[in-house]
Amino acid sequence: MAGQSDPHISLFSAEEVEFMAEDELIEIVPNMRMDPLNFICGDFGPFLPQIATQVPMWLAVALKKRGKCAIRPPLWMSVENLTKVLEGERDSQGAFQVLPFHYVEISRLLFDHARDDIPDMYMVRSLIEDIRDVRVHKVETSLEKFSGTSAVKIPNLSAMEVNIIRPFVGRALQAFYKHDNPEKIPDVDRASSGQTRVANNEPRRPLRR
Amino acid sequence: MKIKSLKLREAHKGSANASFCSILWDLNAHHLVTASSSEPSISIHDPLLPSNPPRVLRHHRDGVTALALSPNSTCLSSGSIDHSVKLYKFPGGEFETNITRFTLPIRALAFNKSGSMLAAAGDDEGIKLINTIDGSIARVLKGHRGPVTGLAFDPNGEYLASIDSIGTVIYWELQSGRTLYTLKGVAPDTGSDTSILNVLSWSPDGETLAVPGLKNDIVMYDRDTAEKLFTLRGDHTQPICFMSWSPNGKYMATSSLDKQILIWDVNRKQDIDRQKFDDRICCMAWKPIGNALAVIDVMGKYGVWESVVPSSMKSPTEDIPSSRSKNSNGLLFFDEEDEEDQELSMSGSLSDLGEDSHGESEPPSRKRLRKQSVIDDDQHEDVYNELNLCTKTEYRKKVHRINKESSDKERDGSRSMMTFRPKMQEAFQPGSTPPQPGKRNFLCYNMLGSITTIKHDEYSHIEIDFHDTSTGPRVPPMTDYYGFTMASLNENGSVFANPCKGEKNMSTLMYRPFSSWANNSEWYMRFEGEEVKAVALGGTWVAAVTSLNFLRIYTDGGLQKHILSLNGPVVTAAGFKDELAIVTHISDCLPSNEQMLEFRIFNISKGTQPFKGHLPLTPGSYLTWFGFTEEGQLSSYDSKGVLRVFTSQYGGNWLPLFSASKERKSGENYWVVGLNVSKLFCIVCKNPDSFPQVLPKPVLTLLNLSFPLASSDLGEEALENEFMLNNLHLSQIQKRIEVMADEGLDTTPLDDEAFDIEAAQDRCIFRLIASCCNGDKLVRATELVKLLSVEKSVRGAIQLATALKLPILAERFNNILEERLQSKTEVLKTSLPRSKHDRNVKADVAASMALTATERSEISEPTFSSSSAKLSAPLLIKKVKSSDRVKFGKPKTDGDQTACLEDSREVNDAGKNAGPSQVKNLQTQRPSNPFLKLPNNQEEKKVEEVMSESQSQGPSNPFFKSSNKVREATGIQQSHRPSNPFLKSTAK
Repeated sequence: MAGQSDPHISLFSAEEVEFMAEDELIEIVPNMRMDPLNFICGDFGPFLPQIATQVPMWLAVALKKRGKCAIRPPLWMSVENLTKVLEGERDSQGAFQVLPFHYVEISRLLFDHARDDIPDMYMVRSLIEDIRDVRVHKVETSLEKFSGTSAVKIPNLSAMEVNIIRPFVGRALQAFYKHDNPEKIPDVDRASSGQTRVANNEPRRPLRR
Repeated sequence: MKIKSLKLREAHKGSANASFCSILWDLNAHHLVTASSSEPSISIHDPLLPSNPPRVLRHHRDGVTALALSPNSTCLSSGSIDHSVKLYKFPGGEFETNITRFTLPIRALAFNKSGSMLAAAGDDEGIKLINTIDGSIARVLKGHRGPVTGLAFDPNGEYLASIDSIGTVIYWELQSGRTLYTLKGVAPDTGSDTSILNVLSWSPDGETLAVPGLKNDIVMYDRDTAEKLFTLRGDHTQPICFMSWSPNGKYMATSSLDKQILIWDVNRKQDIDRQKFDDRICCMAWKPIGNALAVIDVMGKYGVWESVVPSSMKSPTEDIPSSRSKNSNGLLFFDEEDEEDQELSMSGSLSDLGEDSHGESEPPSRKRLRKQSVIDDDQHEDVYNELNLCTKTEYRKKVHRINKESSDKERDGSRSMMTFRPKMQEAFQPGSTPPQPGKRNFLCYNMLGSITTIKHDEYSHIEIDFHDTSTGPRVPPMTDYYGFTMASLNENGSVFANPCKGEKNMSTLMYRPFSSWANNSEWYMRFEGEEVKAVALGGTWVAAVTSLNFLRIYTDGGLQKHILSLNGPVVTAAGFKDELAIVTHISDCLPSNEQMLEFRIFNISKGTQPFKGHLPLTPGSYLTWFGFTEEGQLSSYDSKGVLRVFTSQYGGNWLPLFSASKERKSGENYWVVGLNVSKLFCIVCKNPDSFPQVLPKPVLTLLNLSFPLASSDLGEEALENEFMLNNLHLSQIQKRIEVMADEGLDTTPLDDEAFDIEAAQDRCIFRLIASCCNGDKLVRATELVKLLSVEKSVRGAIQLATALKLPILAERFNNILEERLQSKTEVLKTSLPRSKHDRNVKADVAASMALTATERSEISEPTFSSSSAKLSAPLLIKKVKSSDRVKFGKPKTDGDQTACLEDSREVNDAGKNAGPSQVKNLQTQRPSNPFLKLPNNQEEKKVEEVMSESQSQGPSNPFFKSSNKVREATGIQQSHRPSNPFLKSTAK
């Protein structure tokens, strides 16, 4: 639909969303010994061989690339859980299953960099793709129905999905607003080019839950 | 295909309806037994003279549905619709007993191979295992949802297979009575027609189980895994209702609802002959001797089909597997001449667990009693072996064999023993897992890496992996021609050993260094008439303990250095740097099943034995892991999940530091790998596994150490635990500082560590005081205050007591503080003479550094011990002394400045080594006395007052100078430290 067909309107590119997802924590099993790392975002480590520890995704990927660790796929990324989620998604029309906010990006990163650490990788991959398709489809069909409101609330939506529909929903809501208050039309029109951009920037914040 | 008709002879009349009939041969083919479910009589025919009237047994009140003959044909058992199971003598047919009774009709009976146990089942929900000796019920196996129609004991005596009318097959493990496998819906559902009974049958060698399949076929299942092996599928057009293996297992006769009998060549999976009948054949039996098959149809007509297998093929009785040989002897009718055979058959099998509990209850004769107990003994040992060696069903095959071997070996020894006794634990390597067919297993797994092995055909394949791939050496995998079963690994090399296997394969010890300047520096040792039982590896030595109880110590170059005789059979060994620890048995187990173990610690480089003593275990458990902590403390872990660490406190004792039962989340087992001061490293295994697999690579889990504290009324177990642990660490560190100081090494890092722990301990105590105050445990609070090491903490405690409106307590705390201040001054007085020594020392410092260090430490010892003994804050003394320096040091420096500066470096070191206590105390006192950076007048004055008595001697005492210098030196040295550890600790 609107958002998908025109990726340029999206506030963030997929890469940018992925970049943000790299702050999520994930468990790794290092195979080297290293002192704790002190970053602005926190202290990670110490790293001891064969002892699992939590690090941000970007660090995990960096270590993995150097062959210094094995990434433990998160619990939700098991075939059983994903099958359950997929069934749930298919069964309920309106509601969305609970998945991590960055599930698309995390799974993508893991598929790209840690394929040997994921058991049943192809199964997991196809399951996640299925889930994603079902969810996007659901989002789009539910957007077809929305009408004269000033807000849309869809719980359990993930970062990537929000990113896709945000520009469309934002503008659509604005349009509704415009039609509801015809006297304000000139103001909005004038500000449309410059100020909507600013207004649009605000949703950046709630991105991290 | 020849079509010949077989004439059937009427045996049972009964009703006109189809009813299930049974037919049996006896062992020597002298008799044929038949029964019908429509008639209460059992007929014993003579197959040679079929016209003679059969002997008829009429004891049942209703149709006989099942017959079974004990393997030695001395006992006949029958089950009936009248719910009873009866035993008769055979071939006489005298009624013996009603051995059991059900609430619904019986459908199936089976004797086990030795005849000691009878399984009976029917429309009731459970399968009863009955001891034929006394009729006691050994076990009831419940699990079938429909009437059980077929039972078969595995010829090797481990399993029972059962099938019900809805087509479910269950494998039971006889020893435990557990369900091993449940195969649902594998056989046809026979519905409510009681004339068709699903049956199943083990091949005579016990390797396959034949079950009727859903596609008018016979499906063969594997003995150990219950996997489908192959099917026999042919010309049957309806489901199979009965099958029978030929005595040698090469052929099989199947009868189907389509009224045909097919004879199969099982190996070729092809039918070789067939016969059509007027009625459905519901039971068949191969003649034990000769080439014939007895059949009976649903109308009660029986006949013998002669020369079933074409003469061109092997006879069905050729090459009968040994497991069905005639050595089995029914216990019920005990045969004197067969006693040897019976023992063989009994001790070789695990099947007769029931006898352990019931076997001896009513022995018919004295002789029997003796025999029975011998057998029991064997079995117990087998069971124990099983417990030790096998925890998973997959290894069943293996264990089965091992048990056979071991029971063979042990028979001679155990014959003389009458009573059951628990077994002494076998030798093991810490961090090894039992071998598993087709899979890798660990020979050694420790904090450094792992050694794994897998058997390929004849040779094993060994891999050595280090957890830390970045620093550990890369070791190429190797092929192992010896079959190593023991290994040990450290950063320098690995040692392997194999037990001896027969004449050819002698026990060998191999050492393989990871890096050496010389080529080919691995070495081998061979042992003749001796077997390596345990190996250990240390800094520069290799140790092997052998079956002759020799401890053999080699250098890492392969020099045979020492051979010591140990007291008893070894259990395990572990090495760490210079230290070797060995656990041996001191005596047989106690009747309460407690292993009696002893440990010894050897220091290889010094050739000393610092400790030896009893190794405690939880009652009823055995040792599962033994090793050193990362700091070098000896520790052990037993099968009940209790971790113990050896401490030299109280003259050498084991402290229980972890208990799996306290920690355990349901269904988890902890497989210990190692530990450090505060954490236990282990691999968590989900039940029922008790050890990890090699793949996927196991991940270590950290668990907190904790004392098994009683739950106190304070409700602060966590704090109390921390308190005790801190105390333990502190004592460990102080011991190490002493050792290092003795050796003249730099103890600064340890001092720092000790100081950190002390600070942490103060925080912990402070929190405990707070909770004591809140919980109204005032006496305990005062005791705790006495334990505080920093004066500031005591003041904090006073404030706390005041804030909590406990004036009495605050008063007491104040007294404690005053006491400390007083005792400190006393100590100061006693310390004055000491400064004389200091001066000497100072002179010595110029001459010899090392000497000074030791001397100083000796001198400082008394002060330290006295102050700590009094539990009064030693730091206050130090404070006085140091401020003292501020006072007197300054004027003195005028004259001595240069000397002072020159010496400072040296003295510095001396002071550092001098005594941990001094340095430490200086540190502790520093924050409250910031004179180092800004000489504080106030502080000085305060100290002046305290010092007033001692001052009189002070200024005129030249000794002060030297001691001051030392102090100052230490002070300076401290101020150079990049980070002040107290900054963090005092933040609280």
